[in-house]
Amino acid sequence: MSSSVLWYLSRSTGMVLLVLLSFTAVLGILIHSRARVQWLPSFAVTGLHRNASLLAVVLLVIHVATAVLDPFVSISWLSVVVPFTSHYEPVWMGLGALSLDIMLAVVVTSLLRERIGHRTWRAVHVLNYAMYPLAVVHGIGAASDLQSGVLLLISVVCVAAVAGAAGWRLVDALRHVPPRRRVVVQLAAAEAVGTRR
Amino acid sequence: MSAGLLTSSAVPPRADELPRLLAGAATGPVGLAAHHERFGMLGLVDDPIELAAAAGLLGRGGGAFPLARKLAAVQSAASRRGSAAVVVANAAEGEPASIKDRVLLSQAPHLVLDGLRVAAAATGATTAYLFVRSDTVLVRAAAQALTERSARRLDPVPVTLVQVAPRFIAGEESAVVHRLAGGDAIPTYTPDLVSERGVGGRPTLVSNVETLAHLALAARFGATWFRAVGTATAPGSMLVTVHRDGSPAGVREVAIGTRLSSLLPVTDSEAVLIGGYHGAWVSRSAAAQLRLDDDELAAVGASRGAGVLAVLPPDRCGVVETARLLRYLALESAGQCGPCLNGLPRIAVAMADLASGRARPDVLGNLRRWAGLVVGRGACHHPDGSVRLLASALTAFGPEVEQHLAGRCSRPGGRPFLPTPGVSDLGALR
Repeated sequence: MSSSVLWYLSRSTGMVLLVLLSFTAVLGILIHSRARVQWLPSFAVTGLHRNASLLAVVLLVIHVATAVLDPFVSISWLSVVVPFTSHYEPVWMGLGALSLDIMLAVVVTSLLRERIGHRTWRAVHVLNYAMYPLAVVHGIGAASDLQSGVLLLISVVCVAAVAGAAGWRLVDALRHVPPRRRVVVQLAAAEAVGTRR
Repeated sequence: MSAGLLTSSAVPPRADELPRLLAGAATGPVGLAAHHERFGMLGLVDDPIELAAAAGLLGRGGGAFPLARKLAAVQSAASRRGSAAVVVANAAEGEPASIKDRVLLSQAPHLVLDGLRVAAAATGATTAYLFVRSDTVLVRAAAQALTERSARRLDPVPVTLVQVAPRFIAGEESAVVHRLAGGDAIPTYTPDLVSERGVGGRPTLVSNVETLAHLALAARFGATWFRAVGTATAPGSMLVTVHRDGSPAGVREVAIGTRLSSLLPVTDSEAVLIGGYHGAWVSRSAAAQLRLDDDELAAVGASRGAGVLAVLPPDRCGVVETARLLRYLALESAGQCGPCLNGLPRIAVAMADLASGRARPDVLGNLRRWAGLVVGRGACHHPDGSVRLLASALTAFGPEVEQHLAGRCSRPGGRPFLPTPGVSDLGALR
């Protein structure tokens, strides 16, 4: 296989990963929202979320393997999982390694969800809110072709969709704080400000 | 006995003799037989609304609203709209410092239920509820009394017992209606009066259990008998819960208009809390002159409220005590209305900072400003009442407030005095 094939395969899977992870993220956020999507039953949202994530894992393996195997740049297998050890673009590759580590943890805990219990699973799963921006910054920083034109537009749309869903989720959660809880939160906030000398 | 079926079979007790409601009931719940022996059978009342008006009976739950007007409003709404009324005897007693409704209902349940029966007759109600704080002893006494009465088919309108978790605002009229409709016992924004649209959209009377017990006595012995004690504008007796140092809270039945100094050791205290947590602190000098009279109390910014009288022990700091009460009140907000949700926590924290002697010098200005912002803007009067307590404390404990602004407390380390369920002592505030 010629070097350029590996190189393009790595770059294109990266681009598809961005779209796929955004799609997965929006679906994941929708699962835990009060307002269900009208035309999509919740089990379908959950199923889509799972299958899209698995597809993303497969693409990630290809994305990483092709990048490492490509002789054009030198990325070691170690630097795939240990952040900031790559000689090539240490910062951007480091962010990619971080997001890959999180994704590994998320996949493993999701497969073991029945055994480890909901709380642990959830605690790890919320790390996705860090994983996604890390992956996005990794992509935009490392791939100069994402920094302009149609690919930039696609990236912006993806990020906007996820940010919009997350923001909506946040507002929804704040709106539905039980009233009693709201009072306690307000009291804590007032105490944080305080009127002390 | 023949006349007893229509009016009363017992010889009326002396009109000026107290206690009336709690007569001989100190030893536990009075059963139906003993109740009838003491007060006689409740007969038919010609015109209960006219009777309540002639007796001048005011509500004993805190609002002091004329019962006759409440009855008339519900009765006329029911006949105008062709909808049968609902009557509710309210013993939610959310005020932590008040135990008088509990004492009354657990010792003289039949007097309350007689009153509810009169109210049902007055309004043409077809549904009646006994709304009770979920307190084991209380619920048992109420349930037992209801069983006794249904066995004797005493009440034309059967009474349903409904329990409510203890909470400060659980007894507010719209909160009662909300709870009876299956929701939480929190006030609603509904612009409709409960007397027009209450439980199930039907005209509803929500009346404090003590008010109903007084109605039961007036129904037996007449308006003139009822007016033999009390003041011209607020006739009759009232139950008060007295808090003083070194003894548990106690309930007494006193004539309205009684001098405070005859009930409480006013002289060795800095101030007296009158009414309840929505009431007012009154300084010792003012309290010493005061009678339990609505006009006199209004002149010093106080009211009879739910009948709480608390003498601050001499070794306790009023600023610290009030800070704890305000924190309790902030936490008891239903969290529905902005002024209450945002305002009361800020006020509570500022007061706590003042109590700790570490507040910034502008704390009083802030407190007064925030207090002004929350008044009259809630679905219920929770913010108004809380702010009234604050304002009265700043006045009654004026010199102590100055001390605290300078970082000192003249009575440090005092144990909490009044009950504030769910709030730990002030030391845990920050």
